[in-house]
Amino acid sequence: MLQFIVVGLVFGSIYALAASGLVITYVSTGVLNFAFGAFAFFIARFYYFLHVEKEWGILLSAAVSLLVLAPFMGIFFYMAIFRFLRLSSQLIKVVVTIGLSVVIPVLAVMIFGNEEIFQAPGLAPQPVSVYKVFDTAVTLDQVIAYACVLAIVIFGALILRYTEAGLSVRAMVDSEAMTSLSGSNPSRIAAGVWVISTILAGLSGILAAPVIGLDPNKYTLLIAAAFAAVIAARLRSLPIAVCIGLLMGVAGSLVQYFLPPDSEVTANIVPAIPFAFVVISLVVNLVRQGRVNEEEGVGGALDRAITPNGGSRLAASSDSENIYPKLNFTFPIIIFAGVCLLPLIFAPYWTSLMGGAVALAIIFLSYTLVTGEGGMLWLCQITFAGVGALSSAQFATQHGWPIIPAVLMGGVIAGLIGVVIGLLTIRLGNLYVALVTLTFGLLMERLVFNLQTFANFGQGVAVARPEFASSDKDFIYFGLAVFAIFAVLIVNLRRSTTGLALNAVRWSENASRTMGLSVIQMKMLVSGLAAFVAGVGGGIYALSFKQAIPLDYATILGLVWLAVLVTFGVRSNIAALLAGLLFTFSPAFIQTVLKLEAPWSDLPVLLFGVGAIALAQNPEGTVHQWAMGLQRALHKASGGGARPVPAATAFAGRHDPRLDDDDTPPPPPPGSPQPEGTTAEVAGS
Amino acid sequence: MSTVEATEPVRPDTGPAAIEARDVTVRFGGLVALSDVSLSVPPASIVGLVGPNGAGKTTLFGVLSGLLHPQGGEVFLGGKKVTGATPSKRSRLGLARTFQQLELFMGLTVREHVVLGYRVRNQRKRLWSDLLTAGALHRETDDEKQRVDHLVDLLGLRSVADVGASSLPLGTARRVEVARALATGPSIVLLDEPSSGLDGHETAQLGAALRTVVEEEHVSLLLVEHDVAMVLGLSSQVAVLDFGVRIAQGTPDEIRNDPAVRAAYLGDDEAVEGTHETTQQGGEA
Repeated sequence: MLQFIVVGLVFGSIYALAASGLVITYVSTGVLNFAFGAFAFFIARFYYFLHVEKEWGILLSAAVSLLVLAPFMGIFFYMAIFRFLRLSSQLIKVVVTIGLSVVIPVLAVMIFGNEEIFQAPGLAPQPVSVYKVFDTAVTLDQVIAYACVLAIVIFGALILRYTEAGLSVRAMVDSEAMTSLSGSNPSRIAAGVWVISTILAGLSGILAAPVIGLDPNKYTLLIAAAFAAVIAARLRSLPIAVCIGLLMGVAGSLVQYFLPPDSEVTANIVPAIPFAFVVISLVVNLVRQGRVNEEEGVGGALDRAITPNGGSRLAASSDSENIYPKLNFTFPIIIFAGVCLLPLIFAPYWTSLMGGAVALAIIFLSYTLVTGEGGMLWLCQITFAGVGALSSAQFATQHGWPIIPAVLMGGVIAGLIGVVIGLLTIRLGNLYVALVTLTFGLLMERLVFNLQTFANFGQGVAVARPEFASSDKDFIYFGLAVFAIFAVLIVNLRRSTTGLALNAVRWSENASRTMGLSVIQMKMLVSGLAAFVAGVGGGIYALSFKQAIPLDYATILGLVWLAVLVTFGVRSNIAALLAGLLFTFSPAFIQTVLKLEAPWSDLPVLLFGVGAIALAQNPEGTVHQWAMGLQRALHKASGGGARPVPAATAFAGRHDPRLDDDDTPPPPPPGSPQPEGTTAEVAGS
Repeated sequence: MSTVEATEPVRPDTGPAAIEARDVTVRFGGLVALSDVSLSVPPASIVGLVGPNGAGKTTLFGVLSGLLHPQGGEVFLGGKKVTGATPSKRSRLGLARTFQQLELFMGLTVREHVVLGYRVRNQRKRLWSDLLTAGALHRETDDEKQRVDHLVDLLGLRSVADVGASSLPLGTARRVEVARALATGPSIVLLDEPSSGLDGHETAQLGAALRTVVEEEHVSLLLVEHDVAMVLGLSSQVAVLDFGVRIAQGTPDEIRNDPAVRAAYLGDDEAVEGTHETTQQGGEA
């Protein structure tokens, strides 16, 4: 058993280091870094490049990786991205870091090549020395992992407790505003924290390399498991995060000790352990406090006073949308009509791709519903699409149902699961919802999607298109019709009493409750509806390939999908359509028209990731930006001249004064007379 | 400063209290925010609730509206016990409120706030049926239009009716909260510092609107205000909280001359001594 504990502690150490890095950046800068796994992978790959490919020594390679590259990355990303997110909503922070998690692995492939590395050395010299402790074999790699955690815990505690830098960090955790007023420079402290966090990412990445190889997806999954320790620590407690991280590693290993090693049950239980930790910690906190919200206890009164209440701008309609109302429908209708013409002019190759693109657009509408309309950051929409795809294939192929009812039933099943998830996460803050839905997606993928009934040794289950849509062209129009129905449903929802109520719930649950609205009902409605749309979309996606393959619905891919959609605009139906088309066509265009090969074939993914990162500057997305530009140009061309933005809307939903345009008056400083402020600024006070 | 005149206060109807708190106690850890506080608002009346910062006024509002659950005591709405009821249920029973820290829906216009308030009360099924019946295309009913227009005009919001809430000046935003609360057709409205951020003219306008609502629609108001002149000018009864304890209750004139109140506001030691005596006498009485 000791042998299992020894192995488990290695995973535990990696979890603990990752959880520490995640917690310190969250408490100090308010950003939970979903790109932590990508950071870890990039630095580990760089270490491999120096140590193995360039044959540098271990110490030199480690020093350059951890003390040069990691600090550089920390400072670079802080200066380029994270400092702009300081006052952004959690939605934007999460999406931007997801964008980074998409970009960094692609950059790594472009820089280091796409060689698959299954075995990579750690910090111990090869061959790795093995010691005997109580008749148990312990490798030097394992000893180094333990030592690293021990050193980080001891030195971290000493630095935080006894040094001026530690005092500054602790002060900033309590109140960034007060820290600033007392003469410290919060930006410098934040940059320092990002440096430390990136070093921890690099260290955990290098330590993990001998265990999991150098695969970016495995790193993302490893860090996703570490999120469980972060949730258990309520995002804030470093000691708890470290302890739970270690505990998770040991628990995972002990399960393998007590259960039969080759059993399918064991294989399923091990990946479920982080999820179990998530559930237990959330239940304990919910029972103790009734609600788990990342905002509670964050910052001082002054920090809250200067934080705008534009928390959900990504999901909110802004006044600027209504400046040129006449074009609100014209623009989408023109685009949709143009897309309908494409099958008539496309060559067969492109037509064969377009069915999948339209199906993807339908799935994207589920993000439009849950995040755009509901203001909830769900990271498992792809899982609902998978549920829809796999169950419709089962109903149609295994049970002989006609395909349309089978797809609808797949949507209903996904919708019901969505309602349950909505109910379970009703009392969680946005960030917790993101983490829980991500964990849920990973769990479904491993426990359910991997079942042979669905996976069929990687082949999936064949599924036939309906007779009336058996050709590619007919199938595209079938998909476009479904897309149009859901798009109209969303437009109707947005402009109906239901939409008003959803909007109310999104902005103020307290005010909604006290005016008689049921927050639970509204959230469950949008959860179920979005999951239903994703399920139906998933079913149609499977029909486009005539095969329901679980691998097509991997949770990590869902993060890329989210990055793609938010790049175009998460509140726009037409953005969902364009995102589906471009995400499908652009890799094919690069490969077949531009004749570019790897690593450039990943260029579209890189660009979509960059688009998501650009949300820090343009939260409404690209399509909205284009539409507004077009409308202004048309207005100008029609002789209207440059239409000024009404003064009253100039502040609406802005988060960070540093992002303001030059012609925009700066928001009033803290403590300025209230009547001069606008609601957006004052409501958060 | 407010320009609300201390005119004849609104006289209450008879009948069960619109809202009543009996011996309400709230503790946050070791801090006693409210200690055995009792308060009653008669039908169709305005009751003021004043007290220094930290006295427990907003906590009491939280208890009355169901957002906070007291450790002790009871809450009655129109004579019906609602201590354990959700805020949503209390709203359906006729309770509405505004917030000291604005709780507007930033994605909605001013008019949409009022429309939503009206529909939640009068066309509740549209919350669901609109989804399946192309609700976006439904024209508003005559009753809805009339009521919404009336409230928009009453609160002086006509010029900003179609403006998004996130663009409103603070004073206007507070009036939107009042309009939204009134749109739900309440029997009692809890107003948490409604004049904060309003200039003198706006305060007077708001005061007149509130008086109109009470007189014409027989709505009761419980008013938390730092603008003591406004409270004393509008209310038929005023209660004073200090450190979670109700230290006085009476007519505006009685409150003006109450040494306990003066002590709470001015920190007058002699008055404090007088306070204890008065409280004891009050307790004995």
